[in-house]
Amino acid sequence: MKKIAITAYKCKQCGKLHYPFHDRCLQCKGREFDKVEPQGNVKLLTFTRIYNLPWGFDQRYLIIGVGEFENGVRAMGQIGVDEATPLQVGMTMIPSWEPVRVQNGENVFGLKLTPIT
Amino acid sequence: MRDVAIIGVGMIPFGRRDEDTLMDLLAWASLKALDDAGLGDKSVDAVYVANMGGGMIQRQTAIASSLVDRLSLLPAAAETIENGPASGASALKNGLLAVASGYYDTVLVVGGEKMREVTGWRATDFVATMTHPQAEYPYGITLPGMAGMFTRLYMEKYGVTREMLLAISLKNQEMGTLNPYAHVEMALDRAGIFDSRDAIVNNPTSADPLHLYDLCPVSDGAAAVVICPLDMAKKLTSKPPVLIAGFGQATDTHTLQEREDPTDLKAVTLAAQQAFERAKMKPSDIHVAELHDAFTILEIAESEHIGFFPKGQGGKAAVEGKTRLGGQLPINLSGGLKARGHPVGATGVAQVVDIVWQLRHELPKTRQVKNAQNGLTINFGGFGNNVLCFILRRVQD
Ligand SMILES: [Zn+2]
Repeated sequence: MKKIAITAYKCKQCGKLHYPFHDRCLQCKGREFDKVEPQGNVKLLTFTRIYNLPWGFDQRYLIIGVGEFENGVRAMGQIGVDEATPLQVGMTMIPSWEPVRVQNGENVFGLKLTPIT
Repeated sequence: MRDVAIIGVGMIPFGRRDEDTLMDLLAWASLKALDDAGLGDKSVDAVYVANMGGGMIQRQTAIASSLVDRLSLLPAAAETIENGPASGASALKNGLLAVASGYYDTVLVVGGEKMREVTGWRATDFVATMTHPQAEYPYGITLPGMAGMFTRLYMEKYGVTREMLLAISLKNQEMGTLNPYAHVEMALDRAGIFDSRDAIVNNPTSADPLHLYDLCPVSDGAAAVVICPLDMAKKLTSKPPVLIAGFGQATDTHTLQEREDPTDLKAVTLAAQQAFERAKMKPSDIHVAELHDAFTILEIAESEHIGFFPKGQGGKAAVEGKTRLGGQLPINLSGGLKARGHPVGATGVAQVVDIVWQLRHELPKTRQVKNAQNGLTINFGGFGNNVLCFILRRVQD
């Protein structure tokens, strides 16, 4: 199983939170980071329903969004609802790690977001 | 540093070119530019080739070495420049620096791409490989998807409406019908794609809130320019030389989520500022622009970030016709990426070719900005993480 680890990196020098990884802090160029795991639910920042999918996706559409965890980590994820479910920027989603794609015959696990009902 | 002028330009019609190889496209556009420059059988010192997908789509690498061989330009220096959809402008930038520095006198810059060789499914994946390999790509995000997420935020923050996006599609596809090099030569009917029942079928959602006609097509094509020092230009060509008056380039975070304000296209602002500074001009000095409208929202957002219109006013300006021929600042009279097409490696060069035609006053009346002296291009790479801006100026006789 391949898992996309959403580990964020907090700069030891200035505290800036990064995801994905950078070798140097985007703010102060510090090179040392504390690993921060995403925590809590996710606030949806933006999203889109994509109907022209790339090679490797054998389905009619895909809903993708960017969200912010309660501890400030921001990440992209797939949104697990049908296309008719109304979505809104700002709504709260529950994160889970589920298959998001098959690569080289193997499931890749990544961030899935489901609206709190 | 020496002043650098464009003395020759060439383009081949964009579209679906099943019969031609990538090398055919690059070679033909190059010959047109060399001939336009009046170089005859003379060689050039160096060749810069912009291409993004040769290695992935055609399984061909070291394209520049192959091209100088085909064109009998040996032993000219040659290299391929890959910088995503901004490869074209990047190649011209490298040529510009080489001539300005004095290392080379005559340089051929050519950009080309053949994307229709693979299915739309594969082409979409190819373009998506420029997204972040862990944080974005595995989720199935596409460039239209990135644009969809950006559009949602831009609409919310600045009140951009579908009506405003529609104004861009209608204008650019109308201009495409007048451009013999354009991929899409079909004018759009407003009712057919917007306010009738058929619109849902004709113009389906692609990456909401963006619809099919908010997106540029996937194209084959190539474009080329020849540059040399300005003081040499007049000896080589009888056509009015066009000076590369200003150039700017800036980068931004790879992912949208790490931008403090994801609606702020900082790299566009910075690239344009640098170009204006170097050209000693301001936005109001520009008479015609070719912007990177891979998605309709980008023409609006770029026109604001460059400073042509205040933030939040670009969409309104488009609806009011200010960006049409005869308006305050005509944008994408070529049809833009929306209609000319977007063979990724070719685009940045093609934009410059179209501006050169404008500044030489060589276009038919239906597309020519009367007496245009200064033009601007924006070539937008990734989702705004690598942006180049050129300001061109017609040299007075
Ligand atoms: Zn720091």
